[in-house]
Amino acid sequence: MCHQYRGLSRIEEPGNQVRVFYVDPTYSLAHRGPHARLACTACHARSEVGVVPHEIVTPVDCARQCHLADRTGLERPFSHDNVAAMLQRSAHANEGLAKLRLDKGAVLNHGQSNCLYCHDEPTFRDPSLVIPKFKELAGQAFDRCETCHAEKVDADIRYYTNHIASRFLPARSTLELAQVCAVCHSDAHMVTDMGKKDPVASFLRSFHGKAALLGDDSTANCLSCHVRPGENAHLMLGPNDPHSAISPDNVANACRSLTCHPGADKRIAASAVHLDLSTERGSIEFALAAAFILITIFTFGPSAVLVILDLIQVIVGRHLHSEKKTHDLVTQIMHHPGGPARLVRFTVNQRIQHWVLAVLFILLVLTGFPLKFADRGWATVLVQLFGGLQIARVVHHWSGIALVLGFLGHLVTVCWGVIRRARAARDSQGRADYVGEWTALPMWITPQDVRKTFQLLGFLLFLRKDRPSYGRFSPTEKFEYLGVFWGTVLLGVTGLMLWGEQISSHFLSGRLLNLATIAHTYEAFLAVIHVGILHIYNVIFAPKVFPLSTATIDGRTPVEKLVEEHGDMIDKVALDLGIMEEDRSQYE
Amino acid sequence: MKRLLRFLATLPRRTLHLARVLIPRAYAVAILGLLCWLTFMAIQYLFVSLLSPATTPPQITQLPIRLDASVLRTSRDEWEALSATETPRTPPSHYHRIDGWIGPDNFNDCTRSGCHSPLPHARNKAARAFLNMHATSIHCGVCHMQGDERPRPLVWYSLVDGEPTTPPAILQAYGLIQSADAEKRWANPRQEDQKELVRLLRLAAKETGTVRVLTALADHFAAVSESSPMFQQLLKEARVSLPRHFRGEYGAKLAVRDAATGGPILGHPNTDRAIQSYFAQKGRADEATRKRLLESVHPLRRKEPLACSECHRTQGSLVDFAAAGFPQARIDALVAPIVVKMTDHLREGQPAFTMPEFIAPPTPTTQP
Repeated sequence: MCHQYRGLSRIEEPGNQVRVFYVDPTYSLAHRGPHARLACTACHARSEVGVVPHEIVTPVDCARQCHLADRTGLERPFSHDNVAAMLQRSAHANEGLAKLRLDKGAVLNHGQSNCLYCHDEPTFRDPSLVIPKFKELAGQAFDRCETCHAEKVDADIRYYTNHIASRFLPARSTLELAQVCAVCHSDAHMVTDMGKKDPVASFLRSFHGKAALLGDDSTANCLSCHVRPGENAHLMLGPNDPHSAISPDNVANACRSLTCHPGADKRIAASAVHLDLSTERGSIEFALAAAFILITIFTFGPSAVLVILDLIQVIVGRHLHSEKKTHDLVTQIMHHPGGPARLVRFTVNQRIQHWVLAVLFILLVLTGFPLKFADRGWATVLVQLFGGLQIARVVHHWSGIALVLGFLGHLVTVCWGVIRRARAARDSQGRADYVGEWTALPMWITPQDVRKTFQLLGFLLFLRKDRPSYGRFSPTEKFEYLGVFWGTVLLGVTGLMLWGEQISSHFLSGRLLNLATIAHTYEAFLAVIHVGILHIYNVIFAPKVFPLSTATIDGRTPVEKLVEEHGDMIDKVALDLGIMEEDRSQYE
Repeated sequence: MKRLLRFLATLPRRTLHLARVLIPRAYAVAILGLLCWLTFMAIQYLFVSLLSPATTPPQITQLPIRLDASVLRTSRDEWEALSATETPRTPPSHYHRIDGWIGPDNFNDCTRSGCHSPLPHARNKAARAFLNMHATSIHCGVCHMQGDERPRPLVWYSLVDGEPTTPPAILQAYGLIQSADAEKRWANPRQEDQKELVRLLRLAAKETGTVRVLTALADHFAAVSESSPMFQQLLKEARVSLPRHFRGEYGAKLAVRDAATGGPILGHPNTDRAIQSYFAQKGRADEATRKRLLESVHPLRRKEPLACSECHRTQGSLVDFAAAGFPQARIDALVAPIVVKMTDHLREGQPAFTMPEFIAPPTPTTQP
């Protein structure tokens, strides 16, 4: 009657705390939790709340004895005192909690039960999490039950089902549990006391935590590891206790439980669930991450500098008069009967491979990056678009497999081409020069490419008048191509290690899984910024190709870009077609 | 003149030339800026990911841990953790579930001036929570501002923009299905009636903050045919469930209507300087000065606030509940003698009385 109003509240002086006397009526009306059938006086003294205005209400003692009636009306005593006794034997005993000093100040009022640190009014979880059929049946799930149980055999089937189904799940979802633990364990004071380690934060950076942030509740929660199988959360022990679930001898059992990683070796326990690189300086994990950052800076950085300097040329309006001659040459080639075909830089096969790679890359990024940035709002939206994390992971894994297979296919094509060309060019003694053909592949970065890259830098810095020209592939394109080689191998190997973590653990230490995670995530980031920023600029946003380089469609680079970068190729084609005489050729 | 004509003749060509020069450069500047920004963000992220200690994301920490008065000045939307999970934990000192609290009224001058808290009643220990309860649906002026008209001229104002608005959608929706002609009307409902009911329920979900329940009901009403037995079943359900949402949280509040403008009176007029002056002298002024300052801050204040029974009564109520859009069933509850007697009893500081037995909840059972 009164307590259904949220406004039924006042501000307590001193302390400026709001006392809210609101009790959500739907909790008991809709039987939303196991306490829904309790009367107010089951917890509050009748002498205090049975009068209006209520007497000063003493804090509730959760271990006090109350009386519940069975269906015959016979009252039976009930109490949570067994739980209180368990808690006294745990890491959360009253003595420990009494010493708790939080940066935000005391979170409980004087005399309140310590249970409130973790518990509020308990609610039933959605039974369809346990019995998926419930969702399909929607409101019809109980129709048949109620044929008999609505009136003839009195039993509230809904309440019963909700109650029992809830008991097959943790009382809270993984994220809700994290919210509970974070009240104390993420508090600034406590983090300082624990050696600047915030276990909730590091958990949420692990795969388990990220999966939870993305809405997957099947992942491990705090209790999965910190409570021994067969025991309950109230018996949680500290890491130094040999009986603790997370003591060095026991922790592997948590990982290898039937619901988590049942086939794994105990070495899997060495992989860190609470890895926080910033507090692990000096570790090999930190060193590997630092190395990857350096690799990123020294590979992405120079390419980015070239792009930035290239844009500055446009801004200052720098034009090359020598380009006009090459432009005229292209016009002549295009008018030659065999000319246009010679200016195609990418074959149909190569273009198909490029688009397959592009689609797989995009799929991998869309399904992988939400996990990297799981705490961002867009990540959850993206994962939901894929139908949830489980489906996104399946897409990620099989896209990765397809990418690796495509990579192997490409490698076979290249090798077959080398063999074919070597055999075709056998010398007089019938020997094939496989090494020569291999090193003659057009995508190798040669000393000449390095020299021309420095020439380009000099040109972009206004130190040279002429822009260097390249053959069919520019050094930037070769660099990107080799980057895909390196990236696919690294991401493929580490991805397989992580996907098959149970098998991996039999051969590799858990710490290698940490390293695989670091390598996978940092390499993926490097790939994404390289492709997402530089490659996309080069093929879409660069002024001479905007809105899209036609080379990706018909294999022909837009004339402006062709003239600017591939002068050597144009000269060679002109020479081959007899448009240009050799002595005029600039082709080397 | 000739020069001007020649200039005008070449103007299009010149403009075109200028555009040809400027557009690529502007484009390059924009792309350059974007590239630099993306590069900076990417590299910064790498260093932060390695060197900054892991912090718990807002989905976990943006949760009111202590329900301080300052929290009342925020809305639920400002706490990201509350929407990150289905049943986020309540502030630890509070056992019963609170899926929200009184939303801030950003148009009530009495509270937004910083003078009064959103739960301003503190003096009368027995009645203060009851009086504060009214702050969710009634502006302070209804009880505390002068005016002898009976019934008082009142108007709803929106908590979104402070402007006059129609009665809350939840009241309208209930009125629609429980009005005098409702039985006849809903025996053979028209499609327009169905649409209107769905519209009101969706609006009510937004206004009352009980999004899930009312939205589900609206969706259900929208999904079934108006002539189907299921529609009648839903009507039956709605007649029971809608009154549960009459909890004073309507996304709008009743305020005294300004006769001149027709809008709500949301504060004492022309008192900005007086308020500044009061704050400037607060704590330093003697009692007489303080009283004088307070009077200048509250020119419209009623000497004695209205008693509960002035409104909660069947005859001669100060509030014309029907005119304010309350459906009859709600009016009956508001003017029920038990409410009037209890509130006046509390307010007058009379001795405590024992709760009537019928209010006592049933004995809890262990069996379903």
